[in-house]
Amino acid sequence: MWAYVFRRILYNVPVYLGIILFVMLALRVNDPIPGKLGKFPDPQVRQKLIEKTGLDQPFYEQYGRFLLQIVTLDFSTESWDRPGVTVGEKLSSAVGPSLALTVPALMLTAVISICVGMVSAYFRGRTIDRSLVVAAVLGMSVSFLVYIILGQYFAAFKLNQALGTEIFAIEVGIDGSPPTLANWPHYYLLPVLISVIVAMGYDTRFYRAVMVEETGRDYITTAQAKGAPMFKIMFVHMLKNAMIPIITRIVISLPFLITGSILLEMYFSIPGMGRELILAVQNKDFPVIQAFTSVFAGLYILTNILTDVLYALVDPRVRLS
Amino acid sequence: MIRRLWNSRAARKFRRNRLAVAAFAVIAFYLLVGASVLLFGLITLDETGERVGMKNVPGFFTEQRAEKRMNDCGYFLEVVDRALGKRDPDEALAEVDFGRRDLIDRPADEIQEIVDRGWEIYDELAEIDDLNQAPEALPRLGELQSVVTELFPIPTGWDGFIYNLQMCLGTDRSGRSISFRAIYSIKVAFQIGMVTALIAVSLGSVLGTAAGFFGGWVDHLVTWLFTTFSSIPNLVLLVLLAYMFAGTVFDGTLVPVYIAFCCTFWIGPCRVIRGETLKLKELEYVQAATAVGFGRFRILFRHVLPNAVHLVLINFSLLFIGAIKSEVILTFLGLGVKSGPSLGIMITQSRSEVINGFFWQIGTATVVMFILVLAFNILSDALQDAFDPKHL
Repeated sequence: MWAYVFRRILYNVPVYLGIILFVMLALRVNDPIPGKLGKFPDPQVRQKLIEKTGLDQPFYEQYGRFLLQIVTLDFSTESWDRPGVTVGEKLSSAVGPSLALTVPALMLTAVISICVGMVSAYFRGRTIDRSLVVAAVLGMSVSFLVYIILGQYFAAFKLNQALGTEIFAIEVGIDGSPPTLANWPHYYLLPVLISVIVAMGYDTRFYRAVMVEETGRDYITTAQAKGAPMFKIMFVHMLKNAMIPIITRIVISLPFLITGSILLEMYFSIPGMGRELILAVQNKDFPVIQAFTSVFAGLYILTNILTDVLYALVDPRVRLS
Repeated sequence: MIRRLWNSRAARKFRRNRLAVAAFAVIAFYLLVGASVLLFGLITLDETGERVGMKNVPGFFTEQRAEKRMNDCGYFLEVVDRALGKRDPDEALAEVDFGRRDLIDRPADEIQEIVDRGWEIYDELAEIDDLNQAPEALPRLGELQSVVTELFPIPTGWDGFIYNLQMCLGTDRSGRSISFRAIYSIKVAFQIGMVTALIAVSLGSVLGTAAGFFGGWVDHLVTWLFTTFSSIPNLVLLVLLAYMFAGTVFDGTLVPVYIAFCCTFWIGPCRVIRGETLKLKELEYVQAATAVGFGRFRILFRHVLPNAVHLVLINFSLLFIGAIKSEVILTFLGLGVKSGPSLGIMITQSRSEVINGFFWQIGTATVVMFILVLAFNILSDALQDAFDPKHL
């Protein structure tokens, strides 16, 4: 297995180099200096800034230096936008809020949609199944942004007005108190719920399809013929066998844990990774963008390898080669 | 190829699916609206930016609360009053039209007379503490409204029809017609969806078939390309690509959106079609064709590609949905559509209206988008059921 993992990592090295090359090139299409100094800056100031940011060096040199930093895990480059703050500090301060949002969202979504998918598959073709399928399609057809805007208005604004107390905060940190574990529900529960509702449509459909496929198999018929109760068949026999697509689905969404839900973070001002990245793009903060994307991409590649290893662990028929 | 596809069993199965045909009809209707905006100028960009009435007027001509009605009348009077106070009143008065509701064509002093009459009633009504709870003031309010109608007569005939059309879904916070903006947004959505889905699907299928069919270094290159692009989170890639064009000549046009979507969306179809080509390549009939001595390109275009066409169709439909939805998100982040209305602009702008309890703009944009995306969802499900039933 380790040989396989090693080979996969080796195979992904060119991919990773390509990602960083692409990101750095895409950033340098546009000159960031006018955005910082205005359209007609003093040539001396301009020259100084260019030298300070290292943009005067040839591209391959910048590329090489950044690669070296990644290999040595050196995140001490200063952010352009906020001098004195290193990229590493930005990364580590943004991971927590992102995880606080995405871990509960991912877990809740997975558990609820697997259950709903199983219920739907159990009642296949009946009214319950049909209405669940229809609800999923309807839910998928509404924009994410609409869910967020209306969710914030009704659950955080109207509900608070109606009850007189504040259950959900309109934005994270709006009361002045920093987010802690104690006030997690106050700040994060609403974004988590919105995220779950949005993701449910897609996931339920997927899990239902998985389960429906599984119900047609011979071992289900055998178990039924032997008189096993349907409940037991579903949760013991079927769930175990449907584990592969379920695991794939969950592991594939693992990078999302770190990226966070950019839109939710922007809307509820959660100071997570996604929001930091978007703000960095808006402020042309190259070191932050490069560091964040390289971390995202690295994690993505690692989770991909992890998926395949997990396959082999769950299903003995799968051989790693 | 197209006739064979049309007569195939799967296509017949698709046509028997009534829901799918209905969804197809809905999409055709939207396409018709979008095309007539684009080709015949059904609604121009200027018309969508034009002030047609008061701000935040609700749709379906619902009766508003008395106080809002009074304030609205006051606004109309004030606009005229301000024009009268200018150095050249006649010239200023010519510019205070509200869309199709033109100011009455009278000399300035006569208009001044009408406005003064209006202010008189307005002041009287303003004395009342809570106008919403004062039914006895309603006749007076009616008089005030008729003064405003005298100033700005509601057009009749064809203009009146257009005016009603403009007002039927209300106005946004700048007094622009929501219905016109929504219709124009359909055009923008179709433009983005069509262009990006067409380019991305063609790019994906060409690269995918080439990679799957020829193998070797082509396959390695294409695989490297799509793994690289897909290892960057989708939204981050979109944002980066859209950012590339900030400040260039393309800023403010749809070109950055097109390019960002095309570069992101080709991965899905490429991956699927590459897999399908790899599978098809090993089938007996392809081997037979090789044995007969057909050239590689002939086998590719006559034998392999026609059997993967259904995937192209399905992916086109899926990408269309993706483009419409991503437009909204990218626009919210300030990197998508920048000038002119679009579904994303409408939803993003309505954020400030929702806080004030005004839902007509977000409602309209959501319903327009909901029906379109739902139709495409049903269509792609039906396509998948008919052509690719084993797909999860």
